[in-house]
Amino acid sequence: MGKVIKKSTKKTSTQLSVRLGTLELANPVITASGTFGYGLEFKAYMNIDNLGAIITKGLSLKPRKGNPGPRIVETPSGMINAIGLANIGVEAFINEKLPLLKKTKTKIIANIFGETVREYSELAKRLSDVEGVSALEINISCPNVKKGGMSFGTDPKEAARVVRAVRKATRLHVMTKLSPNVSDIKQMVRSVESAGTDSVSLINTIPAMAINAETKRPVLGNVMGGLSGPAIKPVALRMVYEAASVATVPLVGIGGITTAVDAIEFILAGASAVQIGTASFITPSASESVVSGLKEYVKKNGDIKKLIGALKV
Amino acid sequence: MNSTVIYNKSIATDVHFLLRLKWSEKKIPTPGQFVMVSVSDASTSLDPLLRRPFSVFDAGKGWIELLYRVVGRGTSLMSTLKKGDKVDVLGPLGKKFPTPKEKNKLIMVAGGIGIAPFYLLSKTLKNSKKDAVLFFGARTKVDARLSAPIKKLGIKVKVSTEDGSLGRAGYVTDAVLDFIEKDSVIYACGPMGMLKATAKLAKDAGVLCYVSLESSMACGIGVCLGCALKASEDVKKTKDKEYVLVCSEGPVFNSKDIEWEKL
Repeated sequence: MGKVIKKSTKKTSTQLSVRLGTLELANPVITASGTFGYGLEFKAYMNIDNLGAIITKGLSLKPRKGNPGPRIVETPSGMINAIGLANIGVEAFINEKLPLLKKTKTKIIANIFGETVREYSELAKRLSDVEGVSALEINISCPNVKKGGMSFGTDPKEAARVVRAVRKATRLHVMTKLSPNVSDIKQMVRSVESAGTDSVSLINTIPAMAINAETKRPVLGNVMGGLSGPAIKPVALRMVYEAASVATVPLVGIGGITTAVDAIEFILAGASAVQIGTASFITPSASESVVSGLKEYVKKNGDIKKLIGALKV
Repeated sequence: MNSTVIYNKSIATDVHFLLRLKWSEKKIPTPGQFVMVSVSDASTSLDPLLRRPFSVFDAGKGWIELLYRVVGRGTSLMSTLKKGDKVDVLGPLGKKFPTPKEKNKLIMVAGGIGIAPFYLLSKTLKNSKKDAVLFFGARTKVDARLSAPIKKLGIKVKVSTEDGSLGRAGYVTDAVLDFIEKDSVIYACGPMGMLKATAKLAKDAGVLCYVSLESSMACGIGVCLGCALKASEDVKKTKDKEYVLVCSEGPVFNSKDIEWEKL
């Protein structure tokens, strides 16, 4: 009896595992940068070992304090944030967070961003020297900082420059996170691919704003911010679908995923894995629930890998 | 955690409600802590999306109570909850009010719905501390009824109303001024303007002041960094921090830790 159960668990786990090029994940569920802290904060609410991967809060060379408030505002089925990439800096991450975080069997992906190409490259080098980081996610698409961030993410040539520099600086898996704020996502995908990215994650938040009609002022301290949550899911699905039509590297779908069904929709559109973002703010264990939901799904329907890009159009 | 509604009834006015929920978490909220309430059922509706933070009004073994005012869509939906309904609650979260020291005379200052955390605080005060005073600022004498439960505990309540319909007319902080003594400690919760004025009073008088703050927040657990408020120069120098997080480092702060001019 025990053996039978073991066998079926094993089968489920192979059916749930996915491969992003060189990066093997126990399941396709990844927590999105900026929504899962440095991972450790969530141990009180869930078993972080159950995830496919954890992506850290965006790391810069030096700590960043972030933007003046208000930093967030709720909108219909979504929220706009302008945190301003507040983070403890790469050294504090390596010294204070990583030693505890790397105890998990879940893969750790460090999200990095710089104001110059050189900063990206230095971050990549620094994180390649340490044990416990399996991949880097390049943030070239944050709408909330003046320098760097999205300016690299909206110009295919600039994006390629950053990716090339990171590629040169590391042997780790390189994932590039794309902005939705472009007219042709396919061109962006081609460009970062040719610069050597191993996978592409999309989409980052959509540039947005909220206005208070009474005070006649913008709600956010930073005026503009990035829209996330279920409100952006249809846009994200469309962009993953478009990206999949040209991509030769694996795609990671992001945008308003709160349930296993949402995740499957992204996988059908062409994503090999997904990231859970805003949902973790509402229910800290949301990512773990998506894993459970997918487990049930493969038990009934078989290998998740067969679903990747299986959309019938 | 999924909690069952025991009751949800209006109190004092048509827009103030007292929601009592079953509580199966091991941790019972302490005075000043808060919970995040999911006002819509996530399995059927994604709007409103975010949880709402509420101070805990009262708590005991197996139950908690929240006092809230209907101000927008979230609280409006909340006001329709009925006995037996399920509601998803995260908590208890944040730091509590420090226990007042024997030598200090406790002055509580509340504005409007900011009275919410003071019931549990008053209830848990040691007998020797029952000479505490609550200064309550309300808009009208109707709103001032919210202070009745605290008065019942034997706490002295001094009401100020904006329209002068009950107690002293004008801002609650004006009433506090004459009352501060050398060994006073002030605990305050209410609108930002009131807190700012209270912090100034305390600073001028050289007494300790703790404030319970609010800020737009998404997660309540220190992760989204959305609820950051500017830290004072003092905190900046000693802790190299420009912001403090209301959810995880607060909601109760020493008033000296906040940069009031930037709020």
